[in-house]
Amino acid sequence: MSGPLAVEVGGLSLKNPLLAASGTFGYGVEYESLLDLSTLGGIVSKGLYLEPRDGCDVPRIVETPSGLLNAIGLQGVGVRAYVRDVLPRLERYDTAVVVNVCGDTVEEYAEVTRILEDAPRVDAIEINISCPNVKKGGMAFGGDPRMTHEVVAAVRRVTRRPVIPKLSPNVADIALFARVCEEAGASALSCINTLLGLVVDVEKRRPRLAFGTGGLSGPAIRPIAVRMAWQAARAVSIPVIGIGGIMSADDALEFLIVGCSAVQVGTANFVDPGIYERINAGLVAYLERHGLAGIRDVVGTLAYPGETK
Amino acid sequence: MPANLDVPLVSREALPGPYALLTFEHPQVAREARPGQFVMIKAHTAPEPFLRRPFSIMAVDRERGTFTLFLKGVGPGSRALIDLRVGEEAGCLGPLGRGFEAPPPGTEALLVAGGYGVAPFYMFAEELTALGRPFHLFYGGRSAPDLPLVEVLTESGYPLSLSTDDGTSGTPGRVTAPLTTYLDAAAGPSVLYACGPDAMLHAVARVARERGLGAQVSLDPWMGCGVGTCLGCVVRIQRPSDPRPKWRPACTEGPVFDARDVVWS
Repeated sequence: MSGPLAVEVGGLSLKNPLLAASGTFGYGVEYESLLDLSTLGGIVSKGLYLEPRDGCDVPRIVETPSGLLNAIGLQGVGVRAYVRDVLPRLERYDTAVVVNVCGDTVEEYAEVTRILEDAPRVDAIEINISCPNVKKGGMAFGGDPRMTHEVVAAVRRVTRRPVIPKLSPNVADIALFARVCEEAGASALSCINTLLGLVVDVEKRRPRLAFGTGGLSGPAIRPIAVRMAWQAARAVSIPVIGIGGIMSADDALEFLIVGCSAVQVGTANFVDPGIYERINAGLVAYLERHGLAGIRDVVGTLAYPGETK
Repeated sequence: MPANLDVPLVSREALPGPYALLTFEHPQVAREARPGQFVMIKAHTAPEPFLRRPFSIMAVDRERGTFTLFLKGVGPGSRALIDLRVGEEAGCLGPLGRGFEAPPPGTEALLVAGGYGVAPFYMFAEELTALGRPFHLFYGGRSAPDLPLVEVLTESGYPLSLSTDDGTSGTPGRVTAPLTTYLDAAAGPSVLYACGPDAMLHAVARVARERGLGAQVSLDPWMGCGVGTCLGCVVRIQRPSDPRPKWRPACTEGPVFDARDVVWS
């Protein structure tokens, strides 16, 4: 891959640093008629289990100031239907395909990954150890260093592809979890998943979401996400993919400057599915304005008070 | 195919109360929209609310390449749209979803609208007129001010029955009252179409079931994306081929569903 926007993330080559974040872009094919999927650096699929999943009761989403609280509960078609029905349709697009893998048990994560291993169109595995809206797996694993190590190591053993755990922000020390993932054989890290939140209907004195708590996303969480991606990037030598409220090229640049090698665009997909071209154009303009040859020259260039570069 | 465009406001017509008709330029919506379909739209002038909002398409003008929305300024999203000045833009994705299907020849379409749920029936009435299908519109609300489209609909000459809960306009009581009276007197076959609050949709579905009539209902859950990816707007649906109910996104598989398939909560 060449061009000013091309990046390499733990063995995953991307034509530009923008990926669609899991759970905000379906399986990719839903957007086929709306935009050219080849304008994306990559697509991260909705989380997939072995079997189809029903997801949570409704209401599942509630809007908050500059954000969205959701408890969808990983409704999905299951990995086999994805391999059979979705992956062939992605053949014609020049974009990386990253599959977000879920499980109720360590064995299920490994089994889903094993099934994907025979699918040629898959470029990398993202491990979902951070979904706050399921009773088992998800954040329950990603909030426990020992389980985190076990899941990442189990997935690492069954695939040759880049393995990218997606970290939860709902921990006291994200650097610790970043290091645990690196030790377990992760190729890169996705930082962050949604922040655990609660919105209350004051008339009914009940949570607005049927599940109770939910995951907060959107621009409301961006400063927290930038801080946590920065902490994770400093803690490990593997690349970090920044996620959290990106709506513009400047937002993406914040993550890149603090040390992320690429970024994922999430909730913004709901507001404007045409956002990728705009962000990419903004990144190119930034490189030109600063006389930089490529995105790589931006990554990790933060001048932090009291630190020498 | 839906298209995601920045669309300028072409004209705004204020209606009594918090209502307005807004016309935007959007060639794809104008050309391809079907009655009952919707757009996801948000005024560029207001950063909040964060998400776009779904609104039924009330009318299209294929020659001018425009479409019209009927809005009630109830929250920040709809108010920001109503406050747009002509020429200012909104981000707009559409046309989206599955709309109403016209009845077969010889079958009368009975359109049941609650409050601002009347919007898609304006366009549907135009289509039924063009198809030469008989139809009748039942337009109900809590009170006379909740029926701001009466004048527009009367001017169009559409067969119309009004009702209000408080009796300030038309038949006193729920909109299903004039509907059942009409059905009692009807000679030929008919299909029911409903758009409005959930309780009204459910009531129309019950009328249809009791009388063995087909019914199409337009559901209006909270929507995030409009294209089936956020799975926030799912509704419980059980089609004859489904062994058990399934969560289906209202944005792509609806918003119009066969009333018999809806699992009412």
